Amino acid sequence: MRRGRVLFCIFLIIVAAHAIRSALQWNFKAALFPLAVSTPLLILTAIELFRVITAKTETDQVPSVDLDFSSDVSPEVASCRVAIGFSWIVGFIAAVYLIGFPLTVPVFIFFYLRFQGGVTWVGAIAVTAITWAGFYLVFQRLVHIPFEPGALEVWFRP
Amino acid sequence: MIDAFIDGLFLVLQWKAFSLMLLGMALGFSVGLLPGIGGAATLALMIPFIFKMNPAEAFAFLLGMHSVAATTGDITSILFGVPGEAISAATVVDGYPMAKKGEAGRALGAALMSSLIGALIGAVALALAIPIVRPLVLAFGSPELFMLSVIGISCITSLSGADARGQIKGFAMGLLGLLVSTVGQERQSGSLRYDMGMMYLWEGLDFVPVLVGIFAIPEIIDLAVRGTAIAGERPSEKLSQGVMAGVKDSFKHFWLVFRCSVVGVFVGILPGAGGGVAQWMAYAHAVQNAKDSADRERFGKGDVRGVLGPGAANNSKEGGELIPTVAFGVPGSGAMAILLSGFLIMGLTPGPDMLTKHLAITFSMVWTLVIANIITVILCLTVLDQLAKVTYVRGGLIIPFVLLLVFVGSYTANRQIADLLVTLVFGVFSYFMVLFGWPRPPFVLGFVLGKIIETYLFISVARYGFSWLLHPTVIFLLILMAIVIAYPYFQQRRYSAKDGDA
Repeated sequence: MRRGRVLFCIFLIIVAAHAIRSALQWNFKAALFPLAVSTPLLILTAIELFRVITAKTETDQVPSVDLDFSSDVSPEVASCRVAIGFSWIVGFIAAVYLIGFPLTVPVFIFFYLRFQGGVTWVGAIAVTAITWAGFYLVFQRLVHIPFEPGALEVWFRP
Repeated sequence: MIDAFIDGLFLVLQWKAFSLMLLGMALGFSVGLLPGIGGAATLALMIPFIFKMNPAEAFAFLLGMHSVAATTGDITSILFGVPGEAISAATVVDGYPMAKKGEAGRALGAALMSSLIGALIGAVALALAIPIVRPLVLAFGSPELFMLSVIGISCITSLSGADARGQIKGFAMGLLGLLVSTVGQERQSGSLRYDMGMMYLWEGLDFVPVLVGIFAIPEIIDLAVRGTAIAGERPSEKLSQGVMAGVKDSFKHFWLVFRCSVVGVFVGILPGAGGGVAQWMAYAHAVQNAKDSADRERFGKGDVRGVLGPGAANNSKEGGELIPTVAFGVPGSGAMAILLSGFLIMGLTPGPDMLTKHLAITFSMVWTLVIANIITVILCLTVLDQLAKVTYVRGGLIIPFVLLLVFVGSYTANRQIADLLVTLVFGVFSYFMVLFGWPRPPFVLGFVLGKIIETYLFISVARYGFSWLLHPTVIFLLILMAIVIAYPYFQQRRYSAKDGDA
C-alpha cells in the first residue's frame, strides 16, 4: 500500500513538474495562472511524498471527507474484482468505438447480465430487450442524441 | 405590490399555464434523473416551443422544468453515486454512503425536503430582494467577483481532513482541480494549454465527463468488489419510515438548511458562480458546523447533514439566479442566459420594467418556483419508498444500467467517444485518489471554479492593474477569506481542548 501511495505522489509530482515546464514556454498571460497553481502543487505533493516515505507505520492514513472503500473482501479478491470491473468498462468503451452506442447497449447489457450478473438466458434476453427499447425511445426518438457510427460500420460502409 | 403578488399567483393557476408547468415539470424530472443532460441544455431545447405562449405560460413551462431538474438530480446521486446533474455532485459525498448503510430512503427524504425548503427560501428571496439588490450587484465588479471565487476555493479547508496532513492533501487536490481547469485554449491570448495535440481539448474539459468519472467510477468499482447490493447485507430499513426520518431531519437541522439556502441564494445572485459552486460552499458550511473532530469525521461516511446542505443550496440558488436576470438582464448562469432569450422572445426587457409594468409576471416566476417544487416533492415522496428499494437489488444486476447512465451522460457533453475516455481516465484517477486517501471534493471545487477565477483575475488586472487589491470590498473579502481558511484550525483547537477535557 505504501508503494502505491509513493507512486501516486510521484505521479502528481510529475504532473505538476510537466505543467510548470510547459507553462514556462507560453506567453505571460497564458502561463500566469497555471504557474500560480502548479508550483504550490509541486511543493505540497513533495511534502506529502516525504511524509509517506518517513511514516512509521504502513497504514498511516489520515481521515478525509470522502468515501472509504469497503474492507470486507480480502485484498487479493478485491484486486481481481477491480481488474474485472475496469475490464468491463474498457470493453464498453471499445464496443462503443467499434460498433457504436445503439448496438453496444444491448450487447453490453446482455453479456454483463448473463456472464457477470449470473442472470438466466431468458431473463437476460428479456431485460436486454426492455433496456434497448427504453434507450431507443428516450435517447434516439425523444432526445434525438446523434450517436456516432461505430468504426466497423465506417470501415465496411460501401 | 400586493395586487401584483396575487395576480402572479392567478397567472400561474390559469389552466393553460398550470398544464404547461406540469409538462415542464415532467420533462425536468426525467432530465434530472439522466446524468449529463443538464437543465440548461433542456431549457435551450425547449426555447423554440414557447413562441406561441404568453409570458406567464412560457415562464411557467421553462421554470417548472428547470427548478425540478435540480431537485431530481439528487436522486441518482444518492441511489447510485452518479450525479444526475453537475450541480448534484456534492450530494454524492454523503448521500451515496447513506444508501450503502441502508438509509437510501432517509437520504432521499432529506434531499427532497431540504430542496423544497431551499426553493421556498430562494423564491422568498427573489420576491423580497428585487427592490434592494441593485446596489449590491452593481457594487460587485470583477475584483470582487474574483475574491468571492477565491473564498469559494478557500472552502477547501473544510472539505479536507482536519489535521495538517489532511489540509495538505486537500489543498493539493484543489490546486490540481484548478490546473485541470486550465486545459484548452486560454480565453484572453488564445494560447493552447495542455492540449496534447488533440483538438478535442481545445475547448477545455467539460464538467460532466469529469464529474461523472470522478464520482461514479470508484463507486461502481467498489460495488463490483463487494459483490452485494448497494446497501450490502444490511437489513432493509422500513422504507417509508426512512423517508419520513429524512423529512424530519430537514426540520431537526432547520437552521443548517436555512443557512445553506442563504448561501445558495447569495451564490446564485453573483454572475458566473452557479449551482456547481453553491452546493460545495453549502457542503463546506455543513462540515464547518461539526461539533467535534469525531463529528467532523462522519462527513463523507453518510451524514445526513452532508445531504441537507447541498440539497437546500441547489434549489435556493434558482431564486438567487433569477434576481439579477430579471432585475438587470445579467444572467447568473448558463441556464439563466438561455432563460434571458425567453424574455426577449416574449418581448420583455429585463430591468426596471419587470419591477413595475410587468411585476405580476415577475411574481408569477416566484409562484412557479414555489408551486413546482411543492408538487415535485409531494409526488416524489409517494414514490421514494419504491426508488429506495433499488439499493437492495444485487450489484451484478444494477452495475450495467448504472454504467449505461454514466456513459450516455458523459457522451451527451460533446457527443464524442473522447468524452467516454475522459470519464474513464478521471474514473481511474479518482479510484486511486480514494484508495490512497486523497479527497475528491477539493479537486471538484477547484475544477468548477478554475475558469471563473482565472477570467476574473485577468479582467481585474487588465482593468485596474494591482490597485484593485485596495478596493474596500476586496479588503473586506480578503479578511473574510482569511477567516474561512483559519476557521477549521480554530475549530480543530477547540475540538482538541474538548477532547482533552473529556
